[in-house]
Amino acid sequence: MKRKALLIAVLAMVLVGGLMATAAEYVPGTPLKVGFIYVGPVGDYGWSHAHDVARQILVNEFPWLTTVYVESVPEGDAGPTIDKLVNDEHCNVILTTSFGFMDGTDEAALKYPDVIFAHCSGFKREPNLATYMADFYQIYYLNGLMAGALTKTGKVAYVGAFPIPEVKRHLDAFAIGVREANPNAEIHVRWIEDWFNPAAAKEATEALIAEGCDAFAFTEDSPTVVQVAGESGLISFAHYSPMYKFSPEYCVSGELVHWETIYEDFLQKVYDGVYTAHNLQNVDYWWLLEQGAVEMGAETGMPINPAYVDKLKAAVVDHPTLGKISAYDLVETRLNQMGDPGITFDPFQGPIYDRKGNLQVPEGMWMSVDSLITMEWAVQGVVGPWPGEP
Amino acid sequence: MGWESWFISTFSRALAYGTPLLLGTLGEIYAERSGVLNLGIEGMMIMGAYSAFVTAYTTGNPWLGVLVAGAVGGAFSIIHAFATITLKANQVVSGLALTMLGIGLAGVLGRKWVGLPLFSSLHKVTIPGLSAIPIIGPGFFKGQTLLVYLTMLLVPIMWYILFHTRIGITIRAVGEDPATADSLGVNVTRVRYLCVIVGGVLAGVAGAYLSLSYRPAWTEGMTGGMGWIVIALTIFAFWNPLYGLLGSYLFAALYHLSYRLQTWVSPELLKAMPYAFAIIILVIVSRGTLHKRMGAPAALTLPYTRGEQ
Amino acid sequence: MHAPSWLCIERRPLPSGRTILTVSVIAIVAAFVVAGIFFALFGVPPIEAYGTILRGALGSWHGFAETLRRAIPLLLIGVGLTVAFRALFWNIGADGQLLLGTAAATWVALFSGLHGPIVIPAMFVAGFIAGALWGLIPAVLKAKLGINDVITTLMMNYIAMYLIMWLIHGPWKGPTMRGFAYTDKFPPAAQIPTIAGTHVHWPTLVLGLVLAVAAYVLVNRTKMGFEIRVVGENPHAARFAGISQLKTTLVVMLISGGLAGLAGVGEVAGVHMRLLDPNQISMGYGYTAIIVAWLARKNPLAVIITALFFGILMAGGDVIKVSLQLPFQLIDVFNGLIMFFLIGSELLMHYKISLRRR
Repeated sequence: MKRKALLIAVLAMVLVGGLMATAAEYVPGTPLKVGFIYVGPVGDYGWSHAHDVARQILVNEFPWLTTVYVESVPEGDAGPTIDKLVNDEHCNVILTTSFGFMDGTDEAALKYPDVIFAHCSGFKREPNLATYMADFYQIYYLNGLMAGALTKTGKVAYVGAFPIPEVKRHLDAFAIGVREANPNAEIHVRWIEDWFNPAAAKEATEALIAEGCDAFAFTEDSPTVVQVAGESGLISFAHYSPMYKFSPEYCVSGELVHWETIYEDFLQKVYDGVYTAHNLQNVDYWWLLEQGAVEMGAETGMPINPAYVDKLKAAVVDHPTLGKISAYDLVETRLNQMGDPGITFDPFQGPIYDRKGNLQVPEGMWMSVDSLITMEWAVQGVVGPWPGEP
Repeated sequence: MGWESWFISTFSRALAYGTPLLLGTLGEIYAERSGVLNLGIEGMMIMGAYSAFVTAYTTGNPWLGVLVAGAVGGAFSIIHAFATITLKANQVVSGLALTMLGIGLAGVLGRKWVGLPLFSSLHKVTIPGLSAIPIIGPGFFKGQTLLVYLTMLLVPIMWYILFHTRIGITIRAVGEDPATADSLGVNVTRVRYLCVIVGGVLAGVAGAYLSLSYRPAWTEGMTGGMGWIVIALTIFAFWNPLYGLLGSYLFAALYHLSYRLQTWVSPELLKAMPYAFAIIILVIVSRGTLHKRMGAPAALTLPYTRGEQ
Repeated sequence: MHAPSWLCIERRPLPSGRTILTVSVIAIVAAFVVAGIFFALFGVPPIEAYGTILRGALGSWHGFAETLRRAIPLLLIGVGLTVAFRALFWNIGADGQLLLGTAAATWVALFSGLHGPIVIPAMFVAGFIAGALWGLIPAVLKAKLGINDVITTLMMNYIAMYLIMWLIHGPWKGPTMRGFAYTDKFPPAAQIPTIAGTHVHWPTLVLGLVLAVAAYVLVNRTKMGFEIRVVGENPHAARFAGISQLKTTLVVMLISGGLAGLAGVGEVAGVHMRLLDPNQISMGYGYTAIIVAWLARKNPLAVIITALFFGILMAGGDVIKVSLQLPFQLIDVFNGLIMFFLIGSELLMHYKISLRRR
């Protein structure tokens, strides 16, 4: 009799021990701990900085939320870092904020089926792994309208990071905007082959200035292009973080991101039990202007530099469908068309020909999200190197 | 745009990007000529960049920033000098450790200075008269800061000192054969200390140029490996300030061109161009008899102790 | 250096192992004390900081696995560097040679058409050859044209970096990667097995340990090793003895470059499973390994210990990032301080300082 009791006790302990060994699944309505993994330093004033700004907004907003973040995590370290966050820090949710973390996050999601994961800018999902992205292409299009209207030399510039679909998409949207406001303008491109490299950005910008460009947009995680263009009295469009203060005279507008809109939505749903570690297979945020995940401007709440409002109102565009319209009104119109629920305009609506003359988007069609995130071609008007051009 | 604009922009960018390279190289030339290899330049540059930015931001005076940066670079180099000259530690490792320390320290201290624009940066000047000369005028004399020209002036001064004065002979003797120099009454330790400090000061000023003029802001890691290029350029210059000027501006020009030429050649391969060029030029030059006269100081990296062979 | 009269400084010809160890430990403790000040400034009691680091890097199996993962490339490269340094060849180019190793491994894994158990050995062989060849170029330039090895190896690092970038953006970009600059994932046959639940690719570790022993034997017990040591310690004597400086230089660079190439294979096929941005792969291992090799006093066997030590430091850095939420740059400050104290302790090791009795 005693032996049997002992056996049952041991079995019970093993069972309980086994249940406890797995990471406990989150109970909705209880305090939530979220771990953020950044690929760069929060001081980069670019990509990682923006995610951290969002994180701080969340902490102030949700009393039930605690966060922990790890910065400058190399791509190969995603797995071990997640291990620490799950095992040592007991995070319920892990957010990995760079494409390069995809494999590591995916493996970790399979390893820890009770932990919730979300991966930014990736495409692999699991029952406990969602994906999310806030994309700028609409904003770049609007910036392009302004650049095209304001350029005096007819040459607009774009300093690109890496020739990957994400940057190409933004570049093409910018170019489409430029050509819509100024059908003869050229968009000159240079690649710096880095996400963060102020010296390279500086030299690329100087090279483009030497070619006669007088309006600048870019993808690089520092305000270098804004500063360099401003020093030569040339206009620019900020990227990612508020860079107006780096050149108040010459920074006309830009792209701003609000990751907190996505995070608020996602984490609230986790807290409410709507999203669990079992139903994320099809959760993919592709949030744009309409959801408020991105904003036009070089400073929050300032879509256009006040010093340029009059110039934009004075610049008249002979528009194929809207007639004679000031650049300012054109930007307003498009902003509303894309920002209001029930989007009625997309920069990539057909017909669109690439710069080799091929029809990429037929008339009356819009580009699907899938084709947007894999696009490699260059639109007409783009001048310069285009690695990987199909 | 015609070939004139190519020349002008290339000259102009060569001066702009080449100045911090040149400052660092001049300093390292002196240090190495006295026999001390200083691989800690990157750390000194970035501490210089940081301290210059903070000084200029808080006081509104960029030239004060330059001075502070020089002092900071010099102070850092004293650590290296102490370790390698007095304590006779391995120079390679000491330099690497200093680089690690400098970058880490600047990163930690600089955290709250990121993303702040600097409006009291070094002003750009245009030299009247000279800048009107066709092509060369706008290429060399327009839109650079005073620091660029000061650096250019330093070159013949430092060259002259090194090759035509007693001080220079002393420095070179200490670097070639410290034992003999010692026996002739030269204070080897003092000479080496001074040269290393000169190297540190100039490295700090190079960093100041980066954060006060080239790109007026502070970002972590903003020197981006420039210290290593300086190490290479020192060798490339055959430890001679005049060739240091040539090498620095040439490298900077190639760096700029690698962006202009992107339309015709793949960007990644173009980025490798300045580095490949450096090796190719070395090969060409060394096939002649030149290299026999231009080797490294014989006692480079070797600590000196009296009474020891 | 003029010593005060009450201090007697004699040079110790060959410090004993015990001396080295004692002095090193004292130096590290001193560094810990100074670094503790930094931790305290950030609001973390030093004891807690060190406890966390040691616990994180050694206290748990997972932590120790991370330490091992970091130590593997340091071990391989460090062993190679001890051989090169013995011949006074300053190989600053280990990063570049590592990258060439990754390229070779990628080619074997994705483009060679090989299958099955032959793939992993083939990757290691290819990686060794690629790294060795990359190291050969500066070696030939030094031996034949007298071109300084520091500059050539350094430049080759950059060229290697842009070569990899060109590959992942161009001809080798993976069709499954939706335009991002990565190759496809290596097939399972090309993935180096890891210890279950960790990221420790043990075959590479075993290779490193074996090669450390082999390098020790080579340097200390073979004719080639003898020649290497003579070239390093007394180049004039070497020339009189008829030892070919050219041959020696080439051999050490082949070994050093090849070992760095092996490290590259390990990283790309054991950790990342695809070729990616070079800065994400090499992580400065080539430079850290210089310090690893130096700390080991050019003894390939001692590299096993020093590589482990640095593995602890690097893994510890990750721990303070996560657990203590401290700025990650602090670990660089910490490592730099440790290096400095160890460097400073060199003096104590080679010189016996005692009070002179009147």
